Amino acid sequence: MSIAWYQYFEIFSLLCALFCLRGLNAYSLWIMIPILVLDNVSEFIGTNYHLFNWKNNYLNYNIYLLLSTPLFLYLFSILLNLRPLQKRNYFIAAFFLEVLVLGNFFFLQGPWEFNTYANLLIQSTYIILSCLALARLTIGKDDEAGILQDPRFCINAMILLFSIVTMILLGSQKYIKLHHIEIHHKVLYFAVMPIANAVLYTGYSCAFFLCRMQMSK
Amino acid sequence: MSDANEQITSTIVAVLFILLFFGVLFLVMLVYYNYRRRQTVVEKKEMKAQFDQQLMLARLEMQEQAFTHISEEIHDNVGQLLSLAKIQLSSIGESDPVDHETIAAAKDNVARAIRDLRNLAKSLHTEHIRTLGICQAVEEEGQRLSRAGTLSVSVTSEGSQRNIPEDKQLILFRIIQECLQNCLKHAEATFVNIGFTWYPDQLRVRVRDDGKGFDPEATLQGSSSGLGLQNIRNRARLTGGSGIISSAPGEGTTVTVMMPYD
Repeated sequence: MSIAWYQYFEIFSLLCALFCLRGLNAYSLWIMIPILVLDNVSEFIGTNYHLFNWKNNYLNYNIYLLLSTPLFLYLFSILLNLRPLQKRNYFIAAFFLEVLVLGNFFFLQGPWEFNTYANLLIQSTYIILSCLALARLTIGKDDEAGILQDPRFCINAMILLFSIVTMILLGSQKYIKLHHIEIHHKVLYFAVMPIANAVLYTGYSCAFFLCRMQMSK
Repeated sequence: MSDANEQITSTIVAVLFILLFFGVLFLVMLVYYNYRRRQTVVEKKEMKAQFDQQLMLARLEMQEQAFTHISEEIHDNVGQLLSLAKIQLSSIGESDPVDHETIAAAKDNVARAIRDLRNLAKSLHTEHIRTLGICQAVEEEGQRLSRAGTLSVSVTSEGSQRNIPEDKQLILFRIIQECLQNCLKHAEATFVNIGFTWYPDQLRVRVRDDGKGFDPEATLQGSSSGLGLQNIRNRARLTGGSGIISSAPGEGTTVTVMMPYD
């Protein structure tokens, strides 16, 4: 059983979320806790897949994608601050998106092959949604408050940057593996993703502390 | 093969960095936009505070002028009339036969003093301006000065009258009063015309006299009368409009105030 170095950032982020729970609730960001629990569990299984006698960890990440998509889409519904009618339309679109991910998981690429199509679709959706949420947050923001002090800005920004990296690396995952695309004798995926993960979870942790700080103000 | 792989790696890394660059650029633009917006809010707040301060100063100054005006009116006019009446009554000895003529003159002086006091009270009371409206109040002020005999004041109005906020009416009235005081004190004018022109979006008030005139630039830079002219401009600015003073030696003076209705 092993733990990769970037997983400590994940664990730290989850602990921060629990520590700042009241602040998260104030911003309706409690959904970050199940997301982080899921991240931690799937990353742990992904690192120790050989314990389950699996050939690879694709099934684990495919299931993660299936489960995390509705959670992230719900998170975006909060970050986008939608009106009732917009919310209804958003959830209909989210449902169809999840159906596509499920279709790819069961019928198109299957559970034992890495679901690149679903990944591309989901990551590009996250990029669009986080851009929209960021724009909405900046334009509709209370004029006196600085956007950098807003935890929602931090979370959105991190998701945006992480999704860009993930979209490229996971979208071309099969190609990278097949052609041994390496950087400094490390598979590109393993060279970049841990750093991206560390940045993402550090950003999350900062956002959680911001929630707590804004609450106590 | 390894060359091809290196090329592919470089391309993927380059694409990754370019996309990340755009992502970061987008975030920086949002932060900058937010920063500029906050700056604008702060500037607006500062301007409002400055405006409020100016308004308060103008009010204090108007109050101070009103006190000076009361003091001058009481001392130069009402006080003189009552002193004269007292002298007239004192000249009548207890044992002397009744001098009806002197008593009538004294009564007349007391009546004039009472009338002047009433007019003074009217011209100072803001309620008077509110009830009558700016045109009527200015007309009454003009009549009061015309009755004094030194200055003939005419008031004209063009266009259909509009509603003006009370604060603005009061400021405008005090500007006109200041102009009339200047005509009496400095201009040696015999005739003043106050013209109201009601445009669709703003009101123009023009106060024209046939006095000796002056060099506005030189006066504004110098003496205490320059301060009075500066006050006219500042007050006009407080209404959201502007005040223009045009004059030349021997050619009278024209003060034009442009004031938006809102």
